[in-house]
Amino acid sequence: MKKPVIAIAGLTACSGCQLTLLNCEAELPEVAERFEFAWFPMGTTGGDDCAAIDVAIVEGAVSTPDDLETLLRLRSRSRLLVAFGTCALWGGIAAMKNHEPRTALTEAVYGEMAVNIRTFNPAPFHQFIKVDFAIPGCPPEKHELLTTLASLLKGTFPVFPQYPVCTECRNRENRCLLIEDNEICLGPLIQAGCNARCPAVGIKCEGCRGPVTEANVAAETELLLRKGFTREEIESRMRRFCPEWDLSSPLL
Amino acid sequence: MSEQIEISPLTRVEGHGKVTVHLDNGQVEKVTLSLFESPRLFEALLVGKSFHEVPEIICRICSLCSTVHRVCSLMAVEKALGIEVSKQTRLYRELILYGGHIQSHALHLFCLALPDYLDAQGFADLAAKAPEELKMGLRIKAAGNLIQERVGGRLIHPVTLIPGGMGKPLDRDGLLELKETLEAVLPDATNTFELFSTLPSAPTSLPTARFMAVMSDEAPMLIGERLETSDGTAFQAEEYRERLREDVCEGNNAKISLLDGEPVTVGALARLNMGTWLSQEASQSFLESKEKIIGADIRANSFSQAIELIHAVERSLQLIDSLLSAGIKKEKPPAIAPRKGKGTASIEAPRGTLIHSYSFDGRGLCTEADIITPTAINQAAMERDLLHYARALEGAGEEIMKLELEKLVRAYDPCISCAVHVISTHSQKRISP
Repeated sequence: MKKPVIAIAGLTACSGCQLTLLNCEAELPEVAERFEFAWFPMGTTGGDDCAAIDVAIVEGAVSTPDDLETLLRLRSRSRLLVAFGTCALWGGIAAMKNHEPRTALTEAVYGEMAVNIRTFNPAPFHQFIKVDFAIPGCPPEKHELLTTLASLLKGTFPVFPQYPVCTECRNRENRCLLIEDNEICLGPLIQAGCNARCPAVGIKCEGCRGPVTEANVAAETELLLRKGFTREEIESRMRRFCPEWDLSSPLL
Repeated sequence: MSEQIEISPLTRVEGHGKVTVHLDNGQVEKVTLSLFESPRLFEALLVGKSFHEVPEIICRICSLCSTVHRVCSLMAVEKALGIEVSKQTRLYRELILYGGHIQSHALHLFCLALPDYLDAQGFADLAAKAPEELKMGLRIKAAGNLIQERVGGRLIHPVTLIPGGMGKPLDRDGLLELKETLEAVLPDATNTFELFSTLPSAPTSLPTARFMAVMSDEAPMLIGERLETSDGTAFQAEEYRERLREDVCEGNNAKISLLDGEPVTVGALARLNMGTWLSQEASQSFLESKEKIIGADIRANSFSQAIELIHAVERSLQLIDSLLSAGIKKEKPPAIAPRKGKGTASIEAPRGTLIHSYSFDGRGLCTEADIITPTAINQAAMERDLLHYARALEGAGEEIMKLELEKLVRAYDPCISCAVHVISTHSQKRISP
């Protein structure tokens, strides 16, 4: 069988999604054997940035004209395109202040140099292109990346959980940080798949995997307000990884 | 006749950058290094966020260094708010920092740097050409990652580290698992040192570097208040704004971060030159190969990282023993009262000196955030060395020039997504796009 040709790239991001691949130490030699890497600047020198590719796996939000150009180029060259991580899927950490004017943020950091900076509100891929599949998470879970790669070898995509982090958290019999400890835990709203790793070590869910299907935002907000959190705090928490909660998942 | 040689994008480094060599009749006129990472605007994102949120957000600046960013921001926050943490928390924090050093150095040595010496393009090539070496590197890297995963609750963007303490501490069984893993890779770390000892050293010399590192009088840790240079300058971390200034460097139109007007070099090579504390076996390896390190140029950085790998593994084992012998206690992090204040912290990140500084208002909301990364500090020295080396390579041909200059950049082990968020008032601003 011909090896699938893949490209791995990053836009506005921390490289954490790409690093997640390099962190699959046990599997990396086999991944190198089973796929042909046409373009992966973080891991490989050379490569052909014009080759036809089977799957482009791309991390990061789109926040500059260069980002958009890279994304469009990869989309047009690739049969399938995977939004890799929360920034690509929802906008992520870079988009948390999309409700404030971009120019004000840029000026706060770059001062008078800000006029030279070409940047717009960081946005997820589905606002520009068709996305075939998404791996959520900041960072993504290794097993979800590896399941995706393994499925691609079989010509398909895996099915990820469509229930909230709370389900996994209850299964692990963790103490409930939201109800019992009155913490601002976003578990009820967030897509599972991480096996509730943060609540399992006593840390509230910060929502890094983005909204679960049919998240009941109103009920969670009401509960948190009743517990004494301000609307400002709740919104700040919820916007950390996903600026637009009213959007439904781009993949549904 | 003027022409340009462009290395774009720089590969096998973290983030997006390029190098352009400007030639006139075959003579190198100047070399520019541009970091064209998208603007991240982290300092602006943090303003208005509570002190609880700051460490959780800022670690996302970079995945390779998320642990050290998280710890450095916690320490700055704690200083601003006047919080002391327990000895147990300090030990766990030091352990996870060493986990970060192990993973970062192993990634750089084996996946990014080693392919240059074996005529390979990257890890995929290496898997075919030097499978045993690659596997050895990945074993070491996995051990560093396991520390971060177990102690931090997650390997990239760790979650258990919070202001004043930590979430559920890793238990005895978990520590014993780490101990076993680290003991198993200690011989690998020694073999890495042997492997990198045999690699050819660079023929031409580069300008003498001025090294800088965080120094500490107390525990042998990566954390300290005092920054020192190899020519005897010393200052407190909180004075960084007065000392690390932007200036115009010869051969460049752009402003870059300089210490008292001079480029400084930070990282593994700088630490070894500054005489930071080393564990027993690492110290032995260092003494064996001292002449390759003291006063050497940045191309000895990878070799220095190999020595530090041994140290990081040994020191981690010591820390685990300290934790085990003290017994793990479940400590409730203190309730923190917000107050107005400012805090600055400095830590030796894998790539060198890292500084975080924050101010908070009376409600504990961030009013100002500033981060100085090792790559931002190294940039001036990197540009100086690139120019020098490009001139030494005049006439060698475009392919060799490209290859060698990219190797030189890689020796600095730059982390561009960290560096590129830089700050308005005093660090370099030459950020495209």
